[in-house]
Amino acid sequence: MVNPTKNRIFGKDAVWLLFIAVVAVLPLVPGFADNSFRMHVFILILLYASMAQAWNILGGYCGQVSFGHSVFFGIGAYGAAMALVTYGTAPWPGILIGMAAAGLVAVVISYPCFKLSGHYFAIATFAIVEIFFRMFQVWDWIGGAIGLDYPVIEEGLWNLVWYSKTGYYYFALILFVIVFGVVRWLEGHRFGYYMKAVREGQETAESLGVNSAMVKLTAMAISAVLTALCGVFFVQYNLRVDPSMVISLDMAMKFVLITILGGAGTLLGPLAGAAVLIPLQEYTRAFWGGLGGGIDLIIFGLIIILMVIKQPAGIVGIFQGIRQRIAKARGKGGAEIGTP
Amino acid sequence: MNRKSLRLLGCVAVAAVLCLLLAAGPAAAQQKVIKIGTIFPLTGPVANAGQRCQAAVQTAVEIVNGQHPGVKVPLAKKGGLLGGYKIQLVHADSQGKPDIGKAEAERLLNQEGVWALIGSYNSSVSGPASLVAERAKKIFMCGASSSSALTKRNLNYFFRLAPTDATESAEFVEVLKWLNQKQNANIRTIGIIYENTLFGKGAAGEAKKAATAAGFSVVVDVPYTPGATNLNSEVQTLKTKNPDALFGAVLGADYALMVKTMKQANWVPRMSINYCSGYQDPIIAKQLGKDADLFMGSNAYTPQFATLLPAVAAVEKIFKTKTKGVPFDGDSIQEAVAVIVLAQAIEKAGSLDPEKVVKVLHESTFDSPLSLGGKVQFAKGGQNIKAFSIVTQLQNGEYKRLYPAELADSKAKVVFPMKPWNKR
Repeated sequence: MVNPTKNRIFGKDAVWLLFIAVVAVLPLVPGFADNSFRMHVFILILLYASMAQAWNILGGYCGQVSFGHSVFFGIGAYGAAMALVTYGTAPWPGILIGMAAAGLVAVVISYPCFKLSGHYFAIATFAIVEIFFRMFQVWDWIGGAIGLDYPVIEEGLWNLVWYSKTGYYYFALILFVIVFGVVRWLEGHRFGYYMKAVREGQETAESLGVNSAMVKLTAMAISAVLTALCGVFFVQYNLRVDPSMVISLDMAMKFVLITILGGAGTLLGPLAGAAVLIPLQEYTRAFWGGLGGGIDLIIFGLIIILMVIKQPAGIVGIFQGIRQRIAKARGKGGAEIGTP
Repeated sequence: MNRKSLRLLGCVAVAAVLCLLLAAGPAAAQQKVIKIGTIFPLTGPVANAGQRCQAAVQTAVEIVNGQHPGVKVPLAKKGGLLGGYKIQLVHADSQGKPDIGKAEAERLLNQEGVWALIGSYNSSVSGPASLVAERAKKIFMCGASSSSALTKRNLNYFFRLAPTDATESAEFVEVLKWLNQKQNANIRTIGIIYENTLFGKGAAGEAKKAATAAGFSVVVDVPYTPGATNLNSEVQTLKTKNPDALFGAVLGADYALMVKTMKQANWVPRMSINYCSGYQDPIIAKQLGKDADLFMGSNAYTPQFATLLPAVAAVEKIFKTKTKGVPFDGDSIQEAVAVIVLAQAIEKAGSLDPEKVVKVLHESTFDSPLSLGGKVQFAKGGQNIKAFSIVTQLQNGEYKRLYPAELADSKAKVVFPMKPWNKR
């Protein structure tokens, strides 16, 4: 009889543990940490992979496409920034309050929105971004449109601010491990199956005794709390926050784009999406941005269009396709290309 | 999708990412080159202004590097700095976004190995980008960002050329008093329209402070989201309150939309005065044609200032070759001044040690034939205390100098109150 725990640790998860170990020791490789732009790109890959994975809980596994995640991202960012800039303390209490507030806001706004089905839910989330954006712009307590600028403060864990990239790199890695760890745990948990059941057919799931409203609300809350944690990293990294930096449709689209590009509803998808999209975005800008006229953005856009046309199931779809064919060639039959 | 193309696509994607990740090592060895990074919004809603700022920096560098006997600005004839050093520019696009501006500042300093930075037009980008420079102990020259908060941070390596929104607000209030005295204008109430950003909100805050202190009453305060497609409700709010004077902090295309919407609503205040914004953009003024007339605003430069700033003409000739004939405006010229002042400081310090150059920047007064002040001098925190602008009024498409009186165009007369749309 196969021991499932043993299988988990030494099977699929071994690859993940190995991956995290490799990423963790990368800065120790001579020459790697010297190039701060390369470090910046790796940090952004880890951040955006975490953001996309947080969105993936609701959008991928539970099948509820939300364009409103930048709101929770913003709430998390503002939580940390308010603690540090407005109240002059460490960001930690703000982080906890921000995450709790994001979860609460997510539940309150999604409760009525989940009554909408199909595309109407997605449309409603669009409107929510706009409402929160306007509200944050005129809300003087949180700095309004002027935003919050970090003062020059001491680096270290207490302030969660570093002058070099290495500190941020490990902060991003911890964030990545937390978010991916939660999703990996959910995948094997009963709740993960409930989410997939709701995604595949809400009525069918309900007929089998799944409380779909509760499942969707819980998925939304978990997703929002983790998204807020990503927002914390964003503000601690950029040392400034204003409403247009975080609560924008532009930012909301990134959550969706990276996940869809990588492969929604899969554990690997968000990482694959971020690993391709972020270097493309950063290096096209570094190489061609200075020429003006947005050549970098045109090239970036063209590559995304090509990817979506050629492989709608995302990057994970490409690898699954390859695996399926290899398996077929060996006469074993392959894994299904599974995306929602 | 067949197996071959799948493999190909997979290989291409992986190879592209690997190449990109491994590319871009440290910059090549530098010989007699001073690398300077520029960060401007080359794309996005204020791309036009950003591209002109970039062209202004290129123009100034061309002048400093080459020998231009006909150009009457410092270092134009020497052909380089410190006995043969040439400035080499590395450009970056901030897209008008603070996080991208900050990332580009880091890349320029760490990867491209630039010696100093110039930028970033948007105050919200200049803030975080200059913090990166401060930590790296590298100089950040800021031409046009006007948020007064930037020079209140007491940074050591940050220097800003343009007047702040606080200076401009004080000047606008003086203009109101001058109109009340000279024209019996009887201006008592003020309205403010501003874009809801660091720049707009900062300007509005300073406007309220200055106006209230001088005894005027701010009766209406209308923020709007930049890049708006419709300003009907904002203009209707202004029309309902009908302030005597309207202060505007409205950038680029939004300014054109505001003027057109005022025309549709058939309303103008008795006078309207604008911060460095769409008002002073020569392209917007041309697009609006007659409708732009009789609005007022502050200008650090327009071609109509030629008699005050005779040195600009030769510089502008080079600038126009880079902008398809568009002349300098108050923002772009400040970026050119930033380069020339920095070059003078390097020359005076006689060294490329940033500490020595910073000391010179803090302690010296520089000749600046491209600035209205004629000189540039920095206070603690980096503000150019010689900076000011002239209040003008657009009349038949020309910016007429009105205030201060000693710099006013002797033939120009202020048109007050503004003529209603149906009587133009």
